[in-house]
Amino acid sequence: MRILVVEDDKDLNRQLVSALGDAGYAVDTVFDGEEAFFLGDTEPYDVVILDLGLPKMDGLSVLEQWRRTNRNMPVIILTARDRWSDKVAGMDAGADDYLAKPFHMEELLARVRAQVRRASGHAKSEIECGPLRLDTKTARVTCDGQQVKLTSHEYRLLAYLMHHSGRVVSRTELVEHLYEQDFDRDSNTIEVFVGRLRKKIPVDVIETVRGLGYRMNTTPDAA
Amino acid sequence: MRLNSLASRLIATSAVWLLLVLPLAGMLIYRLYRDDVQSAFDGGLEKLVNAIALDSMNAAGTEPVVPNNRYEPLFEETHSGWYWQIKPLDDPLARTFVSASLATATLDVPFEKKVEADAGGNRWLNAKGPLGEPLRMVEVIDTINHVTGAPRYSILVAGPLDWLDSRLSSFLARLSTALALTGIGLVTATLVQVRFGLLPLQQIERGLAAIRSGEAAKLDGELPVEIEPLQYELNQLILSNQDIVDRARTQVGNLAHALKTPLAVITNEAREDKSPLGAKVAGQAEIMRDQINYYLDRARVAAGVAVIGRSTEVAPVADSLVRALERINRDKGVVISAACSPGLRFKGEKQDLEEMLGNLLDNACKWAKKDVELVVQSVVRDGRTDTRRLLIRVEDDGPGLTEEQRARIGKRGLRLDETKPGTGLGLSIVTDLVQSYRGTMVLAQASKGGLSVSLDLPAT
Repeated sequence: MRILVVEDDKDLNRQLVSALGDAGYAVDTVFDGEEAFFLGDTEPYDVVILDLGLPKMDGLSVLEQWRRTNRNMPVIILTARDRWSDKVAGMDAGADDYLAKPFHMEELLARVRAQVRRASGHAKSEIECGPLRLDTKTARVTCDGQQVKLTSHEYRLLAYLMHHSGRVVSRTELVEHLYEQDFDRDSNTIEVFVGRLRKKIPVDVIETVRGLGYRMNTTPDAA
Repeated sequence: MRLNSLASRLIATSAVWLLLVLPLAGMLIYRLYRDDVQSAFDGGLEKLVNAIALDSMNAAGTEPVVPNNRYEPLFEETHSGWYWQIKPLDDPLARTFVSASLATATLDVPFEKKVEADAGGNRWLNAKGPLGEPLRMVEVIDTINHVTGAPRYSILVAGPLDWLDSRLSSFLARLSTALALTGIGLVTATLVQVRFGLLPLQQIERGLAAIRSGEAAKLDGELPVEIEPLQYELNQLILSNQDIVDRARTQVGNLAHALKTPLAVITNEAREDKSPLGAKVAGQAEIMRDQINYYLDRARVAAGVAVIGRSTEVAPVADSLVRALERINRDKGVVISAACSPGLRFKGEKQDLEEMLGNLLDNACKWAKKDVELVVQSVVRDGRTDTRRLLIRVEDDGPGLTEEQRARIGKRGLRLDETKPGTGLGLSIVTDLVQSYRGTMVLAQASKGGLSVSLDLPAT
């Protein structure tokens, strides 16, 4: 899952990046509105965390422009302006959630999880996929009730595939959603991680679709 | 009509003026007329006495000639009040002649009463007639054929003062009627004048009422030049008042922004730090956050309500809040059913209505299982001011509160469940805002089982 953090306060930006990174997300970060619009317009983010008071271009305009160009990724507004008129304006501009500063990082993480889940069409915080079970709250994966120990990159890959289970996910899409913007994008690394994952979970859960990518089998026994 | 009003002042002063001036004018006119009538009467008497003196003193012998009455028919009628008399002053044996109307009586002689003669040699006296009737008499002294040193005669003519009095009293009656009618006419004219003249003031009164009730934002309409400066200043005052409040709100917002981001940084940093210092800083930062929120809210409340002339349509505010909250809570599947007829207006700031409705709906959404209901109505109450009231009810189907909890939360607006996200000051700002608008907030058990919050606020 790839997240864009738009926050002009350097300290808060750093904290957000660190907390989201720890929670297993690939995080890109910008400090002004213009760059935020450009990145959000060109890169496929799973969630955007958007401050409203930004240099060069304010957050609401950034959001409105994204929506006008049909960029429909979930956006969580994070702002000190906590009046209901501000919230309504934010939601009307196309935000999906609104969090007022100061906030608890756990609260923000919960909202991010909720947006990721909703965007991929899952209602509950636990995603099941055959014998696998992903608890998005604790970032833990179990297989037939046994915890599967995963590295951060393995978790990112598996969580993305499980969020989009039943659908073919291309290598490019995986690269775009799992790594930060300035990461060395070599799609071979994906194959390496898939190979590692297959050693930890039943092999037939992640199906390779030749020439297209990977698909998470919701009913691996039938395949 | 109240005593302390411009209209009653104008009417009272003009009434006092009329009460003073009309009787004075009446007295003056009466006096002039009386003098006029009296001098005409006296002139008549003088003419008569001169004619009789001329006729009676042009005698061949030593006795006066009894004048033929070609002067006044009433000299012939007994006790008519019109008399003449020719009386010798020096010769006690000489005869005294009187008019037929005097019969056997005689009249007092002014000369003998030491009445001084005027410049024309006439002596004037008011005396009583044979029947005791008041008379006005004039006397000349003459001798037969005007011979100097001859025995003198007093020639006098008397006329009834009653005649004069009846003329005067009939004039007085007519004069009084005329003056009374004039007075009534003037009072009526004053009433009309006051009414018409004060029309612009009534216009201002209506305009101010419209501003107070929020129907108008400023004092409109074309007013007379005398009041125009007032209108201008008033509109400027309203504008600057709104300006000040808007500026205060903006400043509060800026302060919020300036404080809250660093506070978020401190909080996050402290919570990362697992040392006792970190815990301490985190705890203190939380207190700071609550205090900042509380006092920012108070500042907003204090800034808002003094402004007159603001009114907010409820339906658009409710619609956008419902839209936003349904979007925020869409994972939970909360359905907000809002019943708010269009045209209902809240007498106050839009932001305040948003704060109250937003916090109530937000609370309801947090606790609701599935359903949140918003009902907005308006009623008209008895009372002097703010008779139109807005009734807002927000209900949810959540767990609700016990009676004791409701009493506590209603008083302080404190957070009951620390695990629910949010600062918990939501209801406290609602309480403050409701109080500042002199409204009421009632917590009750909803029919669906959850909490029901009812607000009673001024409407327009």
